[in-house]
Amino acid sequence: MLRPILIPALLLAAGTGVLHAQTDYYARVGAVGANTLVRDAIGDEIRVRQSIAPMVALGASLPFSPGYRAGLEATLASGGFDAEQDGVGETDLGSLRTASLLLGLDGPISSSLRWRAGVGGVLYWPSEERGIFLEGGPVRFLAGAGVDWRRPVLASWDLMASARYDFHRFTTDELERRGFAQAQGVSRISLSVGLARGIR
Amino acid sequence: MTAPSRRLVLGCVAVTALACGDIAAPSRSDLYEWRLQAPSVPGPGLDTLSFHWGQDDLPVRVWVEDAEGLPGYMAAAIDVWESAFLYREFQATLVTDSAGADVIVLAGAPASAVRGRRLHSALAPECTGATDLDVDVEHRQLRLPIRVFVASSLPDDPGIDRCLALTSIHELGHALGIFAHSPNPEDIMFADPDVALPSARDQRTAETAYHTLPTLEAVRLEPLE
Repeated sequence: MLRPILIPALLLAAGTGVLHAQTDYYARVGAVGANTLVRDAIGDEIRVRQSIAPMVALGASLPFSPGYRAGLEATLASGGFDAEQDGVGETDLGSLRTASLLLGLDGPISSSLRWRAGVGGVLYWPSEERGIFLEGGPVRFLAGAGVDWRRPVLASWDLMASARYDFHRFTTDELERRGFAQAQGVSRISLSVGLARGIR
Repeated sequence: MTAPSRRLVLGCVAVTALACGDIAAPSRSDLYEWRLQAPSVPGPGLDTLSFHWGQDDLPVRVWVEDAEGLPGYMAAAIDVWESAFLYREFQATLVTDSAGADVIVLAGAPASAVRGRRLHSALAPECTGATDLDVDVEHRQLRLPIRVFVASSLPDDPGIDRCLALTSIHELGHALGIFAHSPNPEDIMFADPDVALPSARDQRTAETAYHTLPTLEAVRLEPLE
């Protein structure tokens, strides 16, 4: 599933030597929140939710036309997840890492703001292969968009703040094996700050 | 509206519906009665007794007699039953001190005298199992520990490993709250099981048991120090 992303990623990596001067790099830290992963009903409704998780993001992009760039952004987040049931409370289900890779485009909104949109994949990586992840964590198709704000702080470095929204459909092999149909729409929102190598 | 426009609109509607739809939980109607029917004392009729371990009880402490390889079979049985649940409703651990155990597993046949109720099962030629539940006369309390017995009748039989493994899973199924036997031979909780693992129906039954209000409360006669 990640082949359409990995091939451009490798090409981009191979080309960075040549295009180093035009390549924009950045790193950010922040937090990501997501809505319900699974809704189930055994007597009462059960909702599986991820906690707000700290995240890091790394990215690079290259210009392909004046003002517009194409790039890759990878994020890694690690937090907890739990099952919540009315009248019972919350059950800690352990920790859950997610990694995403987005191939995207970005363009100008104003002098310090840029839009960004892309597609890619998200990998779920649970601490234990138990429960809904008994048969492992899935890789799901992901689409996302967001805005970046930049302000020069050093000769070649910009302060960067970003907001992102992305969406994917979540299910696992174990849920499918147990007869869960379709998949849960999961929206994620992240806010992060970091540094970017400024392209003047 | 032209045909391409119609297709575009229909496509957008389909994509929107796909994006907005939620995951659909399966029906868990195909299960068997897990509760124990016991004569009311005093009075006519039957009481329906149900039990499951609460979140505060977890992990359930299981002490296993070190004989006939039972610790290994029980460790595997714990793993099997923990995997039957999606939301960590049941967890258990082996302990080395029987004094504080919630479940005690002994090798050999149970004594003929029983204080509470005995759930016989797995009456295969190679091995047998039984679980004793000590329920108070008012049918309100389940006194701990639950006692499980697993006995090999033919220790040298080539099928003894399989028999002990599935009997351990079956008896732990009783100890986690499935107090009745399934009428289906494909289920591990069938009275004389011949399958190696819980079926989907066993899993659904266990899940439902853990999301149904129990009638019995686990109590320990002698509080832990």
